[in-house]
Amino acid sequence: MGEGARRKKLLLVGHPNVGKSVIFRRLTGRYVVVSNYPGTTVEISRGEMRLGGTTYEVIDTPGINSLTPQSEDERVTCELLLRENPDVIVQVADAKNVRRALSLMMQLADLSIPVVLVLNMVDEMRARGIEVDARAIAELFHIPVVETVATYGHGIRQLVQAIPRAAIPQKPRPNGRCVTLIERALSGTESVPLELAVEWMEGGDPTFRHEIERLIGPRRVRQLQSAIEEHCRLCPRSLCREIEQQRSAFVNETVAAIKRTNHAPRTERITPMGFRIWTVLLMFGVGVFLWGELGAGIGIPTPYGAARRWILQHLAQPVRDFFFSHHGGLIYELLFGGPGASAYGLVMEGVHLLFLVAPVVIPLAVLMHRSRRFTEKLGELTRAPITGIPILLVVLLLVYEFVGVTGAQTLVGLLEEIVFGRYLVAGLREFIPPGFVHQLLVGPYGLISMGLTYALAIILPVVGTFFIAFGLLEDSGYLPRLAILSDRLLRRMGLNGKAILPMVLGLGCDTMATLTTRILESPKERLIATLLLALGIPCSAQLGVILGLTAGISAGATLVVVLVVVSQLILVGSLAARLLPGRRGDFILEIPPVRVPVLRNVALKTWYRMKWFLGEVVPLFLYATLALFMLDQIQVAGRSGIEWIEVGFQPIVVGLLHLPMEAAQAFVMGFLRRDYGAAGLYALAHRGLLSPQQVVVSLVVITLFVPCLANFLVIVKEQGWRRAVMIVGFIVPFALLVGGALSWVLRTWHLLA
Amino acid sequence: MGVSRNVSELLEAVWTLQERGDATLADVGRIAHTEVTEELLTEVKNEGLVDVDTAGHLRLTAHGRAVTAPIIRRHRLAERLMCDVLGMDVEQTEAAACEFEHIIAEGITSAICTLLGHPRFCPHERPIPEGACCRQAREQVNAIVVSCDRLRLGERGRIAYVSTPDHPRLLKLAALGVTPGVEVKLLQKWPSYVLQCDETEIALEEEIARHIYVWRTPDDEEGSSDEAAPFDDDGGPSAR
Repeated sequence: MGEGARRKKLLLVGHPNVGKSVIFRRLTGRYVVVSNYPGTTVEISRGEMRLGGTTYEVIDTPGINSLTPQSEDERVTCELLLRENPDVIVQVADAKNVRRALSLMMQLADLSIPVVLVLNMVDEMRARGIEVDARAIAELFHIPVVETVATYGHGIRQLVQAIPRAAIPQKPRPNGRCVTLIERALSGTESVPLELAVEWMEGGDPTFRHEIERLIGPRRVRQLQSAIEEHCRLCPRSLCREIEQQRSAFVNETVAAIKRTNHAPRTERITPMGFRIWTVLLMFGVGVFLWGELGAGIGIPTPYGAARRWILQHLAQPVRDFFFSHHGGLIYELLFGGPGASAYGLVMEGVHLLFLVAPVVIPLAVLMHRSRRFTEKLGELTRAPITGIPILLVVLLLVYEFVGVTGAQTLVGLLEEIVFGRYLVAGLREFIPPGFVHQLLVGPYGLISMGLTYALAIILPVVGTFFIAFGLLEDSGYLPRLAILSDRLLRRMGLNGKAILPMVLGLGCDTMATLTTRILESPKERLIATLLLALGIPCSAQLGVILGLTAGISAGATLVVVLVVVSQLILVGSLAARLLPGRRGDFILEIPPVRVPVLRNVALKTWYRMKWFLGEVVPLFLYATLALFMLDQIQVAGRSGIEWIEVGFQPIVVGLLHLPMEAAQAFVMGFLRRDYGAAGLYALAHRGLLSPQQVVVSLVVITLFVPCLANFLVIVKEQGWRRAVMIVGFIVPFALLVGGALSWVLRTWHLLA
Repeated sequence: MGVSRNVSELLEAVWTLQERGDATLADVGRIAHTEVTEELLTEVKNEGLVDVDTAGHLRLTAHGRAVTAPIIRRHRLAERLMCDVLGMDVEQTEAAACEFEHIIAEGITSAICTLLGHPRFCPHERPIPEGACCRQAREQVNAIVVSCDRLRLGERGRIAYVSTPDHPRLLKLAALGVTPGVEVKLLQKWPSYVLQCDETEIALEEEIARHIYVWRTPDDEEGSSDEAAPFDDDGGPSAR
C-alpha cells in the first residue's frame, strides 16, 4: 500500500446464484485469498480492487435469502455485515426476480451502510419480455443502480464507476402499523428504522445481541425487548411476522410499479429450418452415441470402432516409421499410444471424442446457444422424471466418456505409462546412482516414481476432467434438476433433494464434498450426508482406478460392485434416518433456468479448483509416500515395516476377504488417500495377482472403506473428533464385514469365478 | 350447543391460552371478551367444562374441549373468510369474527370451510379445529381458495396465504418470493412439486406445497399466449 492510499472494505451480498462470484472475479482479477470463516467451514473469498487512490478489499459473501439467518452460510454473511464494518455493500440481484432483491434491500437499509444495487442477468430478464425500471428503484431508495450481464462482463465498468457514489438507502416509510407499533413501544425516542433489530431479537438468536446493541444502543435494545414481550402477550401474531407482512406488501406494491412484463415475441437466433435441422442432428448424435456405447458392450461394429481400426491400420504405421527413424518415439507414443493396449494416444482420443461425444455435444451447444425455445424446453424435459431419467443416463454416460475414458484412461495412460513410466522415471533411474537418494526418489516407494506419479499422472487428469464436466453441469443449471429427480430417494435416507449436490460433487472429491454439506439445513442431514460420502461415494480419482479395474472383469461383475455399494448406501442411509435424532430440513429449492455455460467461466472455475486440489493433494501424496518409504526402510526382525503391517492385517485380508497379502498394503495406504489405496489395487491387478472374484471383493471394500486422511480431517473439522472417530469406527468394520460376506457368497456359490 | 354467550367467550379464552401454554385466571380475565365473574366461573365448573386448580390455572375438560372446538372453528374460519375473500386487515376482523362465531349455523360453517379450501390455520397461524367437512370433502374441487397441491398441472393461481406455523419455513418461502399476492403456476407434481413463482421456478416437497393456498385464476386469462409466440425469423434483438 502506497502512502496516502486509502483502504476500504466492500462486501458483495445477495441471494444464492445471482452471480456474486462472477462479479467478484470481474472486480478483483487476480489477488484472491480463499479462507474459512473463523470457526466455520464456510469459505470466504477476499480480493483487492484499486479504484482511483483507494484500495478496496472486496469480500464475496455466501448467498443469503434474508438477513434473518436460517443456515450457517446466512449466519456468516450476517456476521460479516455486522463485524467487518464494510464501507460499501454491493447488493447483487437477479434482475428478473427484483421482488426478492427489494425485500433484502429493505433489510439492508436498516444497517445504515452505503449500497450499490446491481441488477445482474438483465439479458435473461429482457429475453423474458420483462422490463424493470432501474431509475425508479434508484430514486425510491436514493442509491445507484447498475444493470449488468456479469458472465460477459457487460456493465462492470458502470458498476466500478458507481461504487464511490454508493449511498445509504433511504427506506421509504410505508407508514404501516408495525412501524407505529415499534414507535409506540419506544415512545419518546426518535424514530429509527428498527425492524431488523426486532427480527433478530425475536429470532431468539443471542449471537447478534452485542451487534444490535452497537447498532442501536443498549437502552433501545432493552426497550425493544420489553416491547416485543408486551406485543407477544397482547397480540396473537409476533411482531416480526407483522414486519414481514408489511414489508412484503410494500415490496409487492413497488414491484407492481416498476416491473413490466410485455409478452414480447420471443427472439430466436435460429431459423425454423435451422432449428429442425439441428434438432434432427441432435437426435442423430444421441443415436450414434448410444450405438457406440451399447455396440461396444455387445460386440456390434460401431462407427467409433471402425474409425479407430482404420486409423490404426492406415495411419499409425507410416507415422510410426517416420518418427522412429527421426528419434521421435515419445511423440509417436503421445499421438498413438504406447505398446500396451490401455494407452490410447492423443489422435485416438481425438477420434474417441469426435465419434462419440461430439455428435451429441455440438448440436446441443448450437441449439442451446441459438434457441431460447429449445433451452426452455430442455429445462422442462430435464426436470420431469419420464424424460429426465433417460436424459440423466445419457448425461452420466457422457460424463463417463469424458472423465472415465478421456481422463482416466487416455490422459492417465499417456502421463503415467509413457511420460512418467517410460521416460521420466526410467531416465532418472539411469541418471541417479544407486544408493539412498536413488531409493528415496525413484525406488519402489520413491517420491517421484510413486508420489508424484500418483498425484500428477493418475489423480490430476481424472480430477481435472471431472472439474471441467462438473463446472459445465453446474453452470448449465442442470444440477438442481437432479435434486428434483432424487428428492424422494434421498428423503428415505433422511436427506432431501438438496443433498444430491454434495453427493455428485463427492464423485469428484469427497473432501470438498464434505465441506459443501453445509448447504444442508439440519445437523442430522449434515451428519448423514457426511457419513454416506465417507462410506460409499467414490471420488473421481478412486473412480478412475475402479473403472480401470472393472475394465478387466465382466459387466456382470461390475454390476455386482455397483449394486452392493448402492444397496449399502441406501441401507445405512435409511437406518441413520431412523436412528439419529433430529429432523430433516425442508426441500425448498430454486431451480435456475437452463443456461449456456460460458466457457471462460468454466475454465476459470476449473482452474481455481485444480489449484486448490494441487495445493492440498500433492503434499499429502508426498508425505504418504515418505511414510511408506520409511516403513519400507525400517527393518525389524528381518522384516520391513510394511511387511509387518501386512502381517498384522493378514488374518483379515487373507482370512476374511481371501485376498492376496499385498492387498493389506493397499488398504492401509487407502487411509492416507482413498485413491492411493485404489491405485495400489490397480497395480496388483495389473500384475495379475487378483482373480475376478478378488477384484470384486477388493473394489467393494476399498469403496466402502475409510475415507482418506484429508476427508477424515475435514470430518473432524465439521463434526468434531467424537463423531469423526465414531464414523470411522463404524465404517471400517462395516466395510470389512460386507466384503467378507460378499467374498463368502461368491466363493460358496462359485459366482464370477 | 346450548351454552350462553358469556360461557362461550370464557371457554374460547381458555382454549386460546392453553394453545400457548398455561391459562391463568388473570390472563383469561384480560383476553376474554366478557367479564369473568365468580358466578361465571362457578357455572362452567359446575357444568364440567373447566377445571380450576389451586394455583388459579384453568383447564378445559374433555367435555369442555368438545363444546369449545366448534366455537373456535367458527371464529377462525370467519377470520379467514374476511381476510382472504373480503380482503380485510387481520385486526379489523377480530370484532366481526367474535360476532360471527355466535350466529353462524353448522351448515354455513361447512360451506365457508369448503369455500376456503378447508384451511388448517387462521390468519394468526393458530390451528383451526377440523370439521366433518374437512375430513369428508378433501376431494372437493370447487373451492375458490385451494392448497397448491390441488391445482391441476399448468394451472395458475394467486397466492392467498401461506399457512404454516413453522416460521423458518415461512421465511425461506418468502425469501424465494412465495408471498401473498404473487402469481404462481404449477409446473410439476412428481417426484417433487415445481411452482413457477414470478420468474423463478421453485421445487418443493408435497408437504410444503399443501401449506400454500392460492386463489385459482381462470384459465382463459392467460395460458396460451406464451406458447403460441411466433418465431422471429433470424435476427431481432438477440438474447445477449
